[in-house]
Amino acid sequence: MSKAARPAGRLARLVGRARRALAGLNLSERLAVAVIAFFVLVGCAFLGHGLYIKAKAELAQILLERAWTRTLAGAPHARPWTWADMWPVARLDMPRLGRSAIVLNAASGEAMAFGPGHLQRSPLPGQAGISVIVAHRDTHFAFLKHVRPKDILRITLADGRPRRYRVSGFEVVEADASGIEAHVPGPSKLALVTCWPFGALSGGSLRYVVHAEAEPGPVRSAEIRWRTPGEGLSP
Amino acid sequence: MSSFAAISATDPETRPLIRPITVLNALAVLAGLLLAALMAAPLRAGAEPARAPRLVALSQVNYGALLLQAGPQGKYVEAPLVASDIDIKITGIIARAVITQRFRNPAKGWAEGKYVFPLPDNAAVDTLKMMIGKRFIEGRLKERREAKIIYEKAKAAGKKAALVEQERPNMFTNSVANIGPGETVVVQLEYQHEIRQDGGEYRMRVPLVVAPRYLPKPVMHLAAHRPGEMTVAISDPVPDAGRISPPVQHPAKGKRNPVSMNIHLAPGFALGEIKSPHHKIAVRREGSDAALIGLADGEVWAERDFELTWTARPGAAPDATLFRETVDGQTYLLAMINPPAMTDGQPLKPREMVFVIDNSGSMSGQSMRQAREGLLYALSRLKPADSFNIIRFDDTMDQLFADAVAANDANLTKARAFVAGLEANGGTEMLPALKAALIDARPGDTGRLRQVIFLTDGAIGNESQLFAAIQAGLGRSRIFTVGIGSAPNSFFMSRAATYGRGSFTHIGQTSEVKTRMAALVRKLEQPAMTDLRVNWPGSADPESWPNPLPDLYAGEPIVLTARMDKLAGDMELSGDLAGRPWSLKLALGSAESGTGIARLWARRKIMALEGIRYQTRDWKAHDAALLAIALKYGLVSRLTSLVAVDVTPSRPKGAELISADVPLNLPAGWNFEKVFGEDLPAIDEEISPTSIREAALIKTTDTPPVAANQKPKGLPLPAGATEADLQIMVGLIALMMAALLLLMLVLRRRGFGPADERRPA
Repeated sequence: MSKAARPAGRLARLVGRARRALAGLNLSERLAVAVIAFFVLVGCAFLGHGLYIKAKAELAQILLERAWTRTLAGAPHARPWTWADMWPVARLDMPRLGRSAIVLNAASGEAMAFGPGHLQRSPLPGQAGISVIVAHRDTHFAFLKHVRPKDILRITLADGRPRRYRVSGFEVVEADASGIEAHVPGPSKLALVTCWPFGALSGGSLRYVVHAEAEPGPVRSAEIRWRTPGEGLSP
Repeated sequence: MSSFAAISATDPETRPLIRPITVLNALAVLAGLLLAALMAAPLRAGAEPARAPRLVALSQVNYGALLLQAGPQGKYVEAPLVASDIDIKITGIIARAVITQRFRNPAKGWAEGKYVFPLPDNAAVDTLKMMIGKRFIEGRLKERREAKIIYEKAKAAGKKAALVEQERPNMFTNSVANIGPGETVVVQLEYQHEIRQDGGEYRMRVPLVVAPRYLPKPVMHLAAHRPGEMTVAISDPVPDAGRISPPVQHPAKGKRNPVSMNIHLAPGFALGEIKSPHHKIAVRREGSDAALIGLADGEVWAERDFELTWTARPGAAPDATLFRETVDGQTYLLAMINPPAMTDGQPLKPREMVFVIDNSGSMSGQSMRQAREGLLYALSRLKPADSFNIIRFDDTMDQLFADAVAANDANLTKARAFVAGLEANGGTEMLPALKAALIDARPGDTGRLRQVIFLTDGAIGNESQLFAAIQAGLGRSRIFTVGIGSAPNSFFMSRAATYGRGSFTHIGQTSEVKTRMAALVRKLEQPAMTDLRVNWPGSADPESWPNPLPDLYAGEPIVLTARMDKLAGDMELSGDLAGRPWSLKLALGSAESGTGIARLWARRKIMALEGIRYQTRDWKAHDAALLAIALKYGLVSRLTSLVAVDVTPSRPKGAELISADVPLNLPAGWNFEKVFGEDLPAIDEEISPTSIREAALIKTTDTPPVAANQKPKGLPLPAGATEADLQIMVGLIALMMAALLLLMLVLRRRGFGPADERRPA
C-alpha cells in the first residue's frame, strides 16, 4: 500500500503545486498555458512519430544485417524477425559515401519502412534487364541526392558475390510513365528509385531514378572482404 | 497518409499514437503549409508566370495535335499548324495512300514534334519521305530499336530526323526532331490496304481521329504459377499507356489539323453509286469505271473518320477478283471471291444471343443513343424460338438474367426497360463482361447457334488481355462486334471479331443504326458458310493467309492472300453452306497483275503471327520470324520502324537542346511549379534549374531508347517517401511555438511584457 501511495502522493503534490501556480494567473495567462500545453502535446506527438519512422528504418537494418548473415550462410528466406513477411535478397553498398543497406524482397509499403525493396516485376541484379530497387528519399535512399555520375555501386546477392555497377545517369520521371523497360535482354542494369524532389514534405508523382550499368571484369579481392560500411575503399 | 496506413497495419501498438495526430492533422498541416510557403516565397520571386506557356500532359488533349516536348516530365507545349493531305489511289480492291503532313514550329527555339495518327487496321506502311526545303530524304526500314537509336543520335547531333513507329496496328506515331524556329518540315508516308466488301458494297475507311482510350488501372491479383504455389502479382494491363495516349484537345479550344483529300477510284468494273456517309464529297466520273473524289468543302478537320462506299452497276459486279504480283521469283496472289447467294431453303436454327453493351463514359452522348437503338432493334428482331441475355458494363457490370431466357413478351419488356435506362458513365473494364458473355451453360448444344453481340466504341488499351480471353473461352460462341461512334477502335473490334470467328460492323452515326444493324441481324439470321477450305493445284504448296479461313456470312466475300512458286492450275474452294457442300473452281492463270500484293500478303502474315502470339510460348522465336518478314517486305510493324535522317546538321553546333533551352519551353521560374507539383511547395535549396536541366539532358543521352521488341513498358514505380520529415517538421514547429509562448508568458509575469499592455487604457 505504501509503495503505491508514495508515487500517488508525489503526483498529488505535483498537481497541487501546479494548481497553486495556475491560481496565481489571470484568465488570459491561463489560456496561454493551455495553448502551450496543446502545442507541446502536438509537437511531441508529431516529432515522436516522425522520429519513430526514422528509428524504425535504422534499427530494422541492424536486424536485417543479421538475417543477411544467415542468408549468406545459406539460409533461404531468412526472416529478420519471426513475424516478418519479408526477407533480405541483396546488400547494396555505396562505397564513396560509405552507405549500405539490406535490400528486401518486396517494394511494398510495409517492407520499405524497414529497408529498400526490390521491385518484384523487375529481374534480380545480375540478370539481364533493369533491376529496380526502391526506397524512401528520407530514409534509406536519402543518399541518392549525393550520388554522382560514374560512382560505383555494389550489389551482393545471396551467393555472396559482389557485382559492381557504375552510375550512368539520372532521370526524373512520372511514377506511371517511368520508361523503365525492366525485361530488356542485354547487360544487367540497375535503377535506384526514390521520390523527387528531395526534401519535399509530401509525396507526389515524380520519381528520381539513378541508372547504373554493370561493370565488366573481375571484382577486386579487397572488395570481397569488405565488411562494414565506409571501410575505406575507393576514394 | 499512405505511410500511416502501412504502419498501422504492421504495428498495432502505434494506433493510439496515430489518433491524436489525425485529429490535429488539419491544424498542423496548415502550420506546415504556412511555413513552407514562407520559405518558398523567395524562390518564386524570380518566376515569370505571365509568360509561362500552357502545358499539356499526354492525357489532356483530344485531337491529333503536334506536340513540342517541354522538359523531362512528359509535358508538352501544343504547337498548332499541322496539316495533312491524303492522296489515295484505288485499283481493283487495293488502296494505296500517300499521307503528307506539314509540321511547323511556332516557337523561337529548336523543337521536336510528335504526331499520333490513326490508319486503317489492315494498312501496310512501307514508305517515309521527308522534305526539307527542296530536298527529299527517304526513310529506311530498320529494326525498331535500331531506328530509335538512329533517330536519337541524329536528334542529339542537331540533324533533322523523322521516325515512324507502330503503336498499335492501326495507330502510328511520327516524331520529327530539330524543327528550326518558324520552320516547316513536310513528312510523307505511304501505305496500302485492301478494300472491304460487304453485301455488294465496297467500303474504305480512313481513320482521322484517335479516340482517347480508357486504360484500365493496374490490378493486383493472385497468380498461381505452379499448382499449390500462390504469389501476388500486380499486372498492368496497358504497359505502354504513356505511348498510346494522345493529347486531347478540349472541344472548346477550336479544331485543329485540317485534312484535304484526293481519291482516284478505279475498281475495275462499271461504277454504281459513290457515297460518303459522314463527309460531303465531290465526285467527277471518268468514264464508266473510274472516278475522282475530293472533299466538297476543300478541307475538313480531323475529327471524324472518313468513309467512302461504292457499288458496282447492277450486273457489273465481279464474282471473283484475282490479282497477282511477282517479286523475287515468287508469285503473290490476292483473291476476293463472292460466294453464291445463300438460299434460306431450310428452317433456320434458333439462336442463343448474348448482347453486351458498353455504357462507359467514352460512349456518352450520341454513341450511347446509337448503341441503345441498335440493341433495341436487335431485340425487336428476335424470334420466339430464340433465347437471349443482356450484359452491360462500364467499370462495373450487370447481367440482366442469370442465364439466357426465352424471347417472350415478358422477358423482352424487361429487357427494353433495362436498355432504355442505360446511361453512359465510368471507365471501360471490358474483360469481366467479355468473360461473362463467353460463359456457355450448354456447350454441347448444336441445335442452337450461340452468338455474342458486342456494342462498344472499343476505347480500351488492354487489347491483348481481351484477345487472350476470347481465344481461351470461345467454344461454340461467335463474337460479332458493333463499333459505335465516330472513331471506334477498329483494330480491336475487327481483330476481336476475327478471333471470335464473327464479323465487325461499324455504325458511324445515328442515321445508320437501322441499316447497319439490319444488315447484321439479317446476316446472323441466315446460315453461315463454315469449314471453308482451299485446295491448291498440284504440288504448289502455297502459304496462304488468313489460315484457317473464317466462317462466312451472307454478303461477305472470301478474301485471301497466298505466296507460291508459280501461278498455274485451278484453285478450288470448298465449304459447308448450311449443311450442304459447296465448291468453286478458279483458274489461277486468269489473275490480273497488280502492285503491292506481296506487301499485302506480308501484312496478313504479320497480322496472323501477331494473332497467335498469345498462344505461343517461345516469344523470341516468334518475334524473330515476324521481324524477318517485316524487314524483308519493308513494312512498319511492332518490331520495325521507318527512320529518315538529314545528313547535314541544321541546328547550329553548341546551340540549345530541345528540352533545355527553348525559351518557350522552359522559361525560368516555371520549373519550380512544375517540379514541386501543385499541392505543396517544397523547401530545398538544392533544386535549381540547372539540376533539372541536367536531368533532362541525361535523359536524352543515357536512358536506353524505349525499344519495343518485347513489350514497350514503363514499370510503374511505387512511392519513395515517408511522412517522417513532415511530421518532424510539424512537431518541431509546434514545440518552438510552445517555447515562444512560454517565454512570452514568463517575460510578462516578470513585468517585461509589451509596453502597450502595461499602459493604462
